[in-house]
Amino acid sequence: MGQVVRLAVNGEYHELSVLCDETLLETLRDRLGLTSVRETCGIGICGACTVLVDGRPVSSCLLLTSLADDAQVTTLEGLVGPNGALHPVQEAFLAQQAFQCSYCTPGMILSVVALLTENPTPTPEEAAAYLAGNLCRCGSYLRILAAVEDAARRLQQTGKPSR
Amino acid sequence: MSGRTTFGMIDARERVTARICLSQDVSVPGMLHAAVVRSTIPHGRLRRVDTSGAWTVPGVVAVVTAADLARIPNLRPVYGPQIEDQPVLAHERVRYVGDMVALVAAENARAAREAAARVVVEYDPLPAVFDPIEALRPDAPLIHELRPEEPHRGHAVYFGLRPIFGTNCCNHFRLYTGDVERGFAEADLVLEETFRVPAAQHVAMEPHAALAYWEDGRLVVISGTQTPFNTRQILAQLFGLAPEQVRVIVPPMGGSFGCKVFPRIEPQVAVLAYLTGRPVKLVLDRYEEFVTLTRHATVVTIRLGLTRDGRITAKRVQAYWSTGAYADCGPDVARKGGFGSVGPYRIPHVAVDSYCVYTNLPPAGAFRGYAVTEVVWASERMMDIAADALGLDPLEFRLRNLLHDGEQFATGETLHDVHFRECLEAVARALHWEQGSRERSPEGCLRAKGLAVVMKGMTTPSRSEARVGVDRAGRVTVYSSTVELGQGARTVLAQLAAEPLKIPYTTVRVVDPDTDRTPFDNRTTSSRSTYMMGNAVCQAAEQLARRLRELAAERLEVAPEDLELLPGAVCVRGVPERCVSWGELVTATGSDELQEHAVFKNEGGLDPETGHGIASSHWHQGAAGAEVEVDPETGQVRILRLHAAVYAGRVVNQLTAALQNEGSMIMGLGSALFEELVYDEGQPLTTNLSDYLIPSFLDLPATLSHDLLECPGAEVHGLGETALPPVPAAIGNAVARAIGACLTELPLTPERVLRALRATRREAS
Repeated sequence: MGQVVRLAVNGEYHELSVLCDETLLETLRDRLGLTSVRETCGIGICGACTVLVDGRPVSSCLLLTSLADDAQVTTLEGLVGPNGALHPVQEAFLAQQAFQCSYCTPGMILSVVALLTENPTPTPEEAAAYLAGNLCRCGSYLRILAAVEDAARRLQQTGKPSR
Repeated sequence: MSGRTTFGMIDARERVTARICLSQDVSVPGMLHAAVVRSTIPHGRLRRVDTSGAWTVPGVVAVVTAADLARIPNLRPVYGPQIEDQPVLAHERVRYVGDMVALVAAENARAAREAAARVVVEYDPLPAVFDPIEALRPDAPLIHELRPEEPHRGHAVYFGLRPIFGTNCCNHFRLYTGDVERGFAEADLVLEETFRVPAAQHVAMEPHAALAYWEDGRLVVISGTQTPFNTRQILAQLFGLAPEQVRVIVPPMGGSFGCKVFPRIEPQVAVLAYLTGRPVKLVLDRYEEFVTLTRHATVVTIRLGLTRDGRITAKRVQAYWSTGAYADCGPDVARKGGFGSVGPYRIPHVAVDSYCVYTNLPPAGAFRGYAVTEVVWASERMMDIAADALGLDPLEFRLRNLLHDGEQFATGETLHDVHFRECLEAVARALHWEQGSRERSPEGCLRAKGLAVVMKGMTTPSRSEARVGVDRAGRVTVYSSTVELGQGARTVLAQLAAEPLKIPYTTVRVVDPDTDRTPFDNRTTSSRSTYMMGNAVCQAAEQLARRLRELAAERLEVAPEDLELLPGAVCVRGVPERCVSWGELVTATGSDELQEHAVFKNEGGLDPETGHGIASSHWHQGAAGAEVEVDPETGQVRILRLHAAVYAGRVVNQLTAALQNEGSMIMGLGSALFEELVYDEGQPLTTNLSDYLIPSFLDLPATLSHDLLECPGAEVHGLGETALPPVPAAIGNAVARAIGACLTELPLTPERVLRALRATRREAS
């Protein structure tokens, strides 16, 4: 049956009564209405549902919400600053047009945020290896790699941490 | 991209913030969620459907089987775009694993799924058939009983179907030119080979999602579909309504690649909405995606007659398309694959027989490349086999036989604006073809190059209509039924409307398809939209520019030719202070918006008896080349370089064009190396991305590049698919050359490559 879970989602505190087999994807998308969290495979392979849990990229379709008690969760909605200012990684995706249908974009952007936190200046090979768990069926991979490079540059210039 | 204006997507910001509202994101108050009960056997009689368990789940509002459909007055519970063979729910019989047997509607998606799992279905199994050639045997189980008096009642039919009654063949396309036996008699050499391409999955990242509700006797459907008007027509037919009584609204989609062509789940949600009196939404899960629509598994046999000096005297093609349990647009796939199998070559004697065959597998339908990937694999592999047999360079052999401008294709139509040679030569340049095509790497890997050319038709005949309007605020809006599925349709149409009106394209609003608000369009398929809809939008915008000028001429009392159209205003040339704004002109007409409507059509079609006529009003042309490295110990193929050259005529948007080309090539790479749907006696074994791989970052070739060929004054050519079909064939030709073996079957898995390599070694020793 239900269990009470405390979550900080995009800086906002929630106390939710969740089902024991409820996934974080269901909680974020169906309960909190965060539609950037998107399901494709439902088995942790495609990366479309990636969110940051305590800063680490996680397939939200695989994580039970009950196991995320007290976690800090960031979805794409949480990257946008006050007054709608885009995050540098979003700016880079925009500038490099790193998408077509853009279904994978939220998960991709969050994975890039995590990548650049761990490794602020990745080579294209390092970026490709890190992002191999984020699939893009439109095949916009070259533009996405360009966006990673662009985002790394932007983050270096602003000197701000990526999150 | 240097030296050109860059046109970013007009909805790019919505996309990087995920504010774009996709069909799966749509919800309305009071909405129920649906789930589907699906057949677990490939063929059988339905003995009993016990829904009692489903009703025990809290929140369940409806459980519907075929018997319940009788409660809907005037319902004709069967549909299909070309043959009405698909029941809304399986009635008496199931025909594949995944066939829809019952529907559940519940207050939430969980309850719906839980209830669906509790429906018990009992079957009496029937013999089943899975291979299209076996399915044509006289003793094969019949999957449908097509009758001559009602062979094709579907309403998206635009050509005569030729089923072979009493068999599983639902369409036999023929194309005969010259006398193929005479052609073989004239040949110095006759070669024959059989090629196979497996079924594949589109894997659109966003699944099928549709929502339906009834409003004052009208049906409203909000669905991610590439075919709003076909869907409206088919739904109207189903419920016995006039087409105007059905409204189809299409939000942008998270990819499609053909899987959202023609109704998939719309009839089912509409039925549930009718029976519950509430809005109902259905979003498929990934397993369901894998059993909803596939690319055709195909077997193609080619017999080629050749002269010693490298001319083709005759070509005989027999193609078998496994269309699964329901025809969908399979009959048309067999037709397009039929004429597509001839290729862009001068061949005096041609005989093509292309059979669309029912099997007890998930329905096969449109898939990016639409039959052409399959036949190019066969045809272009065969060209390399022939070049080897003749001792000719594969490029040289192709160049000798390519059709030129003004020559006739096998259908009898004269080809214009022909650029196959340039495409092939561009690919050869990128690959450094002249430096030889075969070598061994320092590590002992086998390296080689390969290329392939493609000729792909565009839906003919077809029609696109558009309206372009300007309102009292001077704001320009495009009304078009072209759907946005990631190809950048909104952006390109905004650009084409902005050009004649001389306004920034980012100020143009493009309304999403809504059959109540946006005018008719055939569908968003066939790489036709930028050309067909683009022309309609452009004409409507030109008319609007003229109209604004005329209105301003009256208002300012000057001749229209003395006026200059400026962004948002019309001014007297050289007298900028004598100006009137568009908004003032619209207001003066008394209407809220001044609209212009334009229609763009292409004409043609093929005689179903002979296959002669106009197959395509213009042709998509391209080529691809690959340089590969094969590890002789493991059979692993690594792609060093992949290049495509596509004839674009005129590129409207370099950015989206490049993305479409790159995406097509990467999708082709997946088909070449690993994408394959596997079934065991009709049971799907590949039902998610754990078993069915699609290309990731790690599958990118070391170099991935492309050319977009343009010609001054040329018409726009669609680019959504052209770079895909030649890729598997180019990779296959390179791998075959590298290992010195004949490869006939996709995908080129390490196992398959190793088997071919060992067979060659055995022969040699």
